[in-house]
Amino acid sequence: MPKNKSFVSLWLDLNILSTHNFMIKRQNTLKLLMVWFCLLLGQTVYSQSDYTGNKRVTGTYAITNATIITSPGKTISNGTIIIKDGLFAKISTSAQLPVDAQIIPGDSLIIYPGFIDALGEQGVASPEEAKRPKDMDPSNPPNHVAGITPELEVLDYWNIEGNGVEAWRKNGFTISQVAPKGLMLPGKTALVVLGDEKSSNYLSTASGLYAQFKTPRGLYPGTTLGLMAKWRELYKNAVLKQEHEKMFVAQGNGLARPQNDPSLAAFYPVIDQEIPVIFQAKDELEIRRALKLQNELGFRLVLTGVEDGSSLVEDIKAAGASVILSLDLPDPKASKVEFDEATEEAKKAQQRVVEAYNNALMQAAHFEKAGIPFAFSTQDAKSGEFMKHLSLMMENGLSEEAALAALTINAAEILGIAQYTGSIAEGNLANLVITTDKLGDEKAKVKYVFADGYLFEYEGEKPKVDMSKAKELVGTWNYESETPGGTSKGTVKYEINAGELQGEIVVDDPDGSGQITRKLKDINYDGKELSFNFSVMAQGNKLIVYAKGTVMDDKFEGTLSIKDMGKYSLTATKVPEFKL
Amino acid sequence: MKKFNYILLCVLLLVANGLTAQTPKGSVLIKNATVLTVTQGTLEETDVLVQDGLIKKIGKDLSAPKNVESIDATGKFLMPGIIDAHSHLALDVVNEATAPITAQVSMADVINPFDVGIYRALAGGTTIAHGLHGSANAIGGQSITMKYRYGTHDPEDIIMKEAPRTIKFALGENPTRVHGRGKNLQPRTRMGVEAVIRNGFAEAIQYKKQWETYNASKDKKNNTITPPEYNLKLETLADILDGEIIIHCHSYRADEIYMLINVCRDFGVDKLVFTHVNEGFKVAPELAKYTMGASVFSDWWAYKFEVYYSTAYNAAILMENDVITSINSDSGELIRHLYHEAAKTQRYGGLTDEQALSLITINPAKQLGIDDLVGSIEEGKQADLVIFDNHPLSVYAIPQMTFVDGVKYFDINDDEDDQRLKVSPTQMVEPVYLQAEDERCMHGVELFTEEAANFTHTH
Amino acid sequence: MRKINLIIYIVLLLLVPILSYGQIEGEVLKPEGGKFLLTGATVVTVTNGVLEATDVLISEGKIQQIGKNLSASEATVVDCNGHFIYPGMIDSGTRMGLVEVGSLAETQDYAEIGNVTPNMQALTAINPNSVVIPVTRVSGVTTTLSVPAGGLFPGTSALINLNGYTPDQMFAGFKGVPMNFPTLARRGRWDRRSDEDIEKDAKKAMKNIDELWEKASTYMKLEDAEAELTYYPEMEQLAKVVRGELALMVEVNKAEDIKNAIKWIKEKEVQKAILTGVSEGYRVAKEIAESGLPVITGPVLAIPSRDSDRYDAAYSNAGKMQKAGVKVALRTNEAENVRNLPFNAGFAAAYGLGKEEALKAVTIVPAEIFGVDDKLGSIEEGKNATLFIADGDPFETKTQIKHVFIDGYKIPMTSRHIRLYQEFLERNPGLEK
Repeated sequence: MPKNKSFVSLWLDLNILSTHNFMIKRQNTLKLLMVWFCLLLGQTVYSQSDYTGNKRVTGTYAITNATIITSPGKTISNGTIIIKDGLFAKISTSAQLPVDAQIIPGDSLIIYPGFIDALGEQGVASPEEAKRPKDMDPSNPPNHVAGITPELEVLDYWNIEGNGVEAWRKNGFTISQVAPKGLMLPGKTALVVLGDEKSSNYLSTASGLYAQFKTPRGLYPGTTLGLMAKWRELYKNAVLKQEHEKMFVAQGNGLARPQNDPSLAAFYPVIDQEIPVIFQAKDELEIRRALKLQNELGFRLVLTGVEDGSSLVEDIKAAGASVILSLDLPDPKASKVEFDEATEEAKKAQQRVVEAYNNALMQAAHFEKAGIPFAFSTQDAKSGEFMKHLSLMMENGLSEEAALAALTINAAEILGIAQYTGSIAEGNLANLVITTDKLGDEKAKVKYVFADGYLFEYEGEKPKVDMSKAKELVGTWNYESETPGGTSKGTVKYEINAGELQGEIVVDDPDGSGQITRKLKDINYDGKELSFNFSVMAQGNKLIVYAKGTVMDDKFEGTLSIKDMGKYSLTATKVPEFKL
Repeated sequence: MKKFNYILLCVLLLVANGLTAQTPKGSVLIKNATVLTVTQGTLEETDVLVQDGLIKKIGKDLSAPKNVESIDATGKFLMPGIIDAHSHLALDVVNEATAPITAQVSMADVINPFDVGIYRALAGGTTIAHGLHGSANAIGGQSITMKYRYGTHDPEDIIMKEAPRTIKFALGENPTRVHGRGKNLQPRTRMGVEAVIRNGFAEAIQYKKQWETYNASKDKKNNTITPPEYNLKLETLADILDGEIIIHCHSYRADEIYMLINVCRDFGVDKLVFTHVNEGFKVAPELAKYTMGASVFSDWWAYKFEVYYSTAYNAAILMENDVITSINSDSGELIRHLYHEAAKTQRYGGLTDEQALSLITINPAKQLGIDDLVGSIEEGKQADLVIFDNHPLSVYAIPQMTFVDGVKYFDINDDEDDQRLKVSPTQMVEPVYLQAEDERCMHGVELFTEEAANFTHTH
Repeated sequence: MRKINLIIYIVLLLLVPILSYGQIEGEVLKPEGGKFLLTGATVVTVTNGVLEATDVLISEGKIQQIGKNLSASEATVVDCNGHFIYPGMIDSGTRMGLVEVGSLAETQDYAEIGNVTPNMQALTAINPNSVVIPVTRVSGVTTTLSVPAGGLFPGTSALINLNGYTPDQMFAGFKGVPMNFPTLARRGRWDRRSDEDIEKDAKKAMKNIDELWEKASTYMKLEDAEAELTYYPEMEQLAKVVRGELALMVEVNKAEDIKNAIKWIKEKEVQKAILTGVSEGYRVAKEIAESGLPVITGPVLAIPSRDSDRYDAAYSNAGKMQKAGVKVALRTNEAENVRNLPFNAGFAAAYGLGKEEALKAVTIVPAEIFGVDDKLGSIEEGKNATLFIADGDPFETKTQIKHVFIDGYKIPMTSRHIRLYQEFLERNPGLEK
């Protein structure tokens, strides 16, 4: 970063960069935080009416009598947490509850520090696809067309209400390092808190330079070969350009004026070791390639999206790189294939697939054992599978402490924000997640999330669906139910929408003639046991109908029940799908 | 399994040498073999002692030092590890086909040590292969000489560190089709190919001068010369002009071969090898005088127009005209039986055993600049060795054991079926390929040419 | 001078009278008919053992006599002392004559438009003057099956001898209809279909083939009932297969597909069926042997079809099938390099097939499969004089082929490859003009 004042004003005079961008880039995290706290205070001072009724009544909360895991391995039993103005005001076993506090009874609940997504894409929109200029030389395309936009700032494309934010917050995530979308060098990452939609929510506008092994089609650099060469060239030219600019500032007279190149300028904070390069490197070879560039060029490196890094722990350690493991685990489908009449050969081959699958599940445990602190990335992972994947990793050797550390304090340290978040401590950002059971426990559900001091409430008893089995249900089922009023017939339809099993049932309208369609709620399905409920209105009363039973192939057998009104048999058959 | 051997050796070495990264080196005594030295004739009933990866002694009645395994090779043939001067095996990407000159890219960046083709090549006696960039560009990427130490996960372990730098050039149909006809960029003709290469060299001279000027004045007081732009492409071309890189040029027709000889002579470049070079026989005297030789196919022809007027006698004619000649594979299939490909020069041209064997050992070593280290069985050379049950030029010859640096990577008596190093956790059914496709020169350029996908051979 | 050079020199000397007819410079070497006495050879008959120091008399295109000290005054004597006589080698699957330059669409005549084109005749498109033909036959490969490629039924293949000026002069008496059996395999690395799509495509193709077979059967029945049928050349050709007039050559490679194909052939009661390709035959060798179906497999010099396969899977496939009791012939599946047939046989021999069986797999076995063993495939009196003389084992790489006879014609031992060698071995001018 150019630190010289006269140089800055000179640049402004030359009007090479827009003032706004330039100023923002000069902010470091701390300054930003100060600005942000001021804004926060301002908000409380100048309160006003809200005719939408959305505004909260108070920003002060007290969670009482809960088990508090303040950081991995440190537990306070029957503790109380007081949150005020976005910060943890008090954590103790005998706190006086403020009069303005909204009280949340935490009995039998567990409180963890809010989870930190060390790299994600939630809320990030794709930039518009770069237009290829007419008569462009594909061997030397403009940077932005070739996927080289390190100057881009992800916040320009980020929105708290964007895709995925709510889904991940529901899982307990309160802070995310969001990455821009694109190819080889999509831009700079930013740190955001997943707080209230009215707040500005960012902690840092440029936390790292994001890089990927992705290239454009038919343009240089079109493959990993070109990408590696282009990386070296960009970096070295950035070093040279920075040198030139320094010369110009120091000496000026007689020197050629430096031409502005925003792409190269974006490397300066990397060269000055102010921010790391955050390299998406999923498999062994990609990790090695990222390490190779780091070794040659000397930047600070964070590897992200790591899926297959177990055998590289020593190399990663030696390089001093930070690691963000992917929360995405391989589809277990292949490892669970059963061959009834398989040859010895096929069984052996299958055994290797199973081994590979198990290795993937054990990756986090490997890193723990090797003593490399790591965080997790939500990128490419499905929010609906977070708890399941976490418990899979824990079943495969990852300790509870390490899992929690990866989601909280390690992530905060890797992102350089441990001084104000990552653990439950007085004065830290009020980010926490409240669950019904311990992390890794299959029954664990998120009940509340505090992000940036804002409360988000979730149904604790979330229905559970085994998504790998849910596909079997998809389609239309004909059902019959024997009730005192006679045989009732209709259809149930299941579909998978946005990774969720949904359904609707067609039932006789209790209030009249004909049939009505109702949405299924709380669908539970583990591959065998199926339950759901739906509601109907009967003479002004809302009746909740519970269905429960067993699925065998294309048949369902079970019961329908309505509270205080009895149980009736329910059978259903799947309508065969027409397939070519 | 080989990979366990490798891991075991690595562990042993780590213990022995601390944490210095080093590839495994082995010791072994091979007894009583017919030793085909290639450079020093055939030695009957001779022993070869290997220590720490090097050939220590060749002679009769040698005894094995303590802890050195002894292998009885009575009735068997021992030859140097086979060297393939043209391969695309074990590379994740072959072509960066986006520009007519891509000297800045480097195959060392995309080595894939998990390619099971490496094991198959070892099972065919090949120990060293030159991994080249494809032939889409007039000047392609920098190539990499690999030692097939199968079992490692680290691409660096596969690299033959001692080998000099090399780079791929390509003339004729491929670069003109990809750029000229595919993208409407020069070159579209063989005239254009020459111009592109000359332009590249000339720009590199200018570039070099710019840097020399800057470097000379940068530390002077009141220097006003600012750093020039760094250009890895021109940097590499300048290194070629400085003689630091050996060119391996994909070529077919006599005229284009002659063209590049002239261009290189004009720019003072003499480290030049032609590869494929199907019509090399037509300019054999020129190749003999001005180049480091020709690396050819044994018998491939007629797969495209520029190889229609070729002959399987090419290697024999070149050899008889004193051109340094090698036979290469450019194929994951042929690399498994280069000994047989070399033998074809006996059918087509009647070369002697020694001449034929030199085509896949010492001659490719010369073309890669590693003939002082490998390519023949001589004391002091690296112990890359293959044991055959029959004379390797016989069609019935079957490789029995293959050693790299004295470490055994293939042993027919201890050969598990599944040699994959890595398996995908999500692969439902292992795919079966009807046409098990070769690694090939024009890999990855389908993007630019519709017809490329229909090719059986696109070398 | 090298050996080959010498041979050519001798051949040239023999042809001096012909040369003198030329009005312009340059030699023209033509196949020569007539009566030939091959003397003092070791005759590898394939069917009746090896005969030492034996003469073979060729007359009117046939092997007229085999014996010791034969004499025939008017015959041209070819001294074969120390040499070996073998029946001409048969490559059971090629694109010979159907393509001249691999990448040039203008010269590709093996794949017609359409999925069901059994009526496309390979024999029509074979170019008797292809440069590839002389290049091939001087290696001792005298006979090849030229096979069209493409859809489910790409055409009708034809067995040809590699000498003649019209396709009819070349035709060697066998035609067969190839069928690409629906496969669960991938066509190549570029084939990125999902497993599900592959299965779906295969099922669809299977259904299609079943329907086509049904139609062809109907066509045949109506034809046999002398019904007047509208013009339908595709069904007319397939009806010949159903009737058993033409063999059905079922191209199938993956183990699972092979089992399905065998089942299908049984179900449809196909009269004459040959399995071709069969690259994973060793995995289901027992099933193939039990089916009694003959197999044409190759190339032997090929990469295994699965990454997990042993490196020598393709080398050893033929041997494993033969040992299980399968009748195996070999093919190169090549066009310009059909001359590598003997080397494919050599590798198969080394990796389990054995020399004797390997020789059969390129001579008498294909002759039997194609039903031409009365004319080809062995050295026997009365058979066609389609044979070659070598100075050693023809599979051995360094062996030189001395003479080739096809239907009694003595073939000039030259080709473009040899002529280029002659011109350029010692170029004139050399480096300096």
